[in-house]
Amino acid sequence: MDSNEARIREFVMKTFPLARKNGIKADEKWLETGMMDSLGILDLVQFLEKEFAIHVSDDELLPENFESLNSVVSFVNARQGGVLKS
Amino acid sequence: MDFLIWHLLRDSLRRNPEKEALVHGAERLSYRELARRTAGLATGLRQHGLKRGDRMGIYLDASVQQVVSIFGASEAEGVYVPVNILLHPEQVMHIARDCGMKGLITTSAKLEALAEVLPQIPSLEFLVVTGAGEVPSGINVPVHRYEELCALDSPGSWRETSIEKDLAAILYTSGSTGKPKGVMLSHANVVAGSRIVSTYLGITENERILAVLPFSFDAGMNQMMTAFEKGGTLVLINFMFAREIVKVLLKENITGLAGVPTLWSLLAQPNSTLDKQPLTSLRYITNTGGAMPQPVLKILRQHLPATKVFLMYGLTEAFRSTYLPPEELDKRPTSMGKAIPDTEILVLNEQGQLCKPGEPGELVHRGPTVSLGYWNRPEETARALRPNPLLPSEMGDCEKVCYSGDLVKMDEDGFLYFIGRRDTMIKSSGVRISPTEVEEVLFQTGKLRGAAVIGLPDEMLGQVIKAFIVAKDGQTVDTEVLLADCAQKMPRYMVPKFVEILSELPKTSSGKVDYPALRRREGL
Repeated sequence: MDSNEARIREFVMKTFPLARKNGIKADEKWLETGMMDSLGILDLVQFLEKEFAIHVSDDELLPENFESLNSVVSFVNARQGGVLKS
Repeated sequence: MDFLIWHLLRDSLRRNPEKEALVHGAERLSYRELARRTAGLATGLRQHGLKRGDRMGIYLDASVQQVVSIFGASEAEGVYVPVNILLHPEQVMHIARDCGMKGLITTSAKLEALAEVLPQIPSLEFLVVTGAGEVPSGINVPVHRYEELCALDSPGSWRETSIEKDLAAILYTSGSTGKPKGVMLSHANVVAGSRIVSTYLGITENERILAVLPFSFDAGMNQMMTAFEKGGTLVLINFMFAREIVKVLLKENITGLAGVPTLWSLLAQPNSTLDKQPLTSLRYITNTGGAMPQPVLKILRQHLPATKVFLMYGLTEAFRSTYLPPEELDKRPTSMGKAIPDTEILVLNEQGQLCKPGEPGELVHRGPTVSLGYWNRPEETARALRPNPLLPSEMGDCEKVCYSGDLVKMDEDGFLYFIGRRDTMIKSSGVRISPTEVEEVLFQTGKLRGAAVIGLPDEMLGQVIKAFIVAKDGQTVDTEVLLADCAQKMPRYMVPKFVEILSELPKTSSGKVDYPALRRREGL
């Protein structure tokens, strides 16, 4: 597991009680499982900006960037690699 | 003559069958197509045993299937019971058992989650599954395919026996105690609510209404009915970010949008891009489910200068109650408005007399949207719906009015202002939450001797939940584990945000939990 993924996992485990109970499957969609709601996703975005010192622009606020652990990890990895996804 | 819910759809179909009725993403249905699917589903539900008055559960996300299911069940003369998609299997089971659900429409994915509770719903005779997903094994009632039912040929028309007094829908909602209760709405309630609201909002066939609120919530259902009553277009959306709502507002030329304060707070944030382009089509927005924070209202009015803002108030037990006309907004921005047409709002004191202007009292609603009460709960019904105390005694108890439990005051001009609740009910993101239901789940962890929850004010959600807990002797409680246990048993909005461990809960002289003392601890 790369360290970005570990840091994101840790935040999700700490912030969303259902994640602690059921664990996090990499491709499970947060909204569909009820682990997060749209406010929870915004907390996640805020965490990513701070933790990884990145700026998430309005155009990047797309479900495909944040819907699951996989999508969040690839978004952060891509941003750190300098590739913009919007 | 139109007096049943599905007549609203039928009438608009007659007027303009090719008109766009329902949109969801790439799916677009005319009134003709919507009515065809609805009639097919109704035929299928009847074939599989749904009879007049039988309760039909609908556990679906916002979708074309959800709308077709509501009208299909209704056209089959059943009673539809929309179940919020956020609820967990335990809560769905409670609703199904409570209302004696005969059939349930859901997706194969949700069915998998429900499989283990299904045997505990003795009334359940059949299921209808949408989509092509596999049906999980071990289900002991017949499972029918939604798509196949919708494709059935309707016999044209069947002998319709329902009248407007009949039960049309049951909406589950929480009070201050116990598990959710089913509010019974008649066809007359729902049709009157639609006609009243479409009148004061000035809804026409040109309306394109975006449905963000769930149809298990009275305001969401009402919004859908107004669109179909007038032959307008209803657009559905599933969203993660407020920005997606703005995109659909633009793309679909939306003219009307109803929301709760949390939604407006999200839309007022810069990243919603609400201010990036003028939304010239958006004729009106309506708020319900709690007061809109003044700073949010200010931002919305700045970004939407041509849009009329209607502040509304309603409780499920009386469906819809008050609205503030947009022209009063500057004069009385904190008011919840006055009675909707054909409705009278009384403010009564403890003695059942009319309050003077400015005097706090309970909001009591009379009019055609007063519900039939709670399903199978005569005592609670008798508390919420009582004889009108102001009628001359010669009239007897001929009219029931709805006691809201909300404390309000009225100004000299008849405009109302919300003060607070009479009881301990919590409201978060427009959703009513019973403290005792949350406490029960806390107790189910088996680690606690005492638990009490209260609502704390929250800018975004209206209220969030704080739990005070007392561990059983000799037990240490890890609050993170405790909340994780709770999260598995109830939706996220019911899980406490804060937990404080106490050695004892404050008690009243009669030994009950002293909630006011807990609120005082929080400076409330």
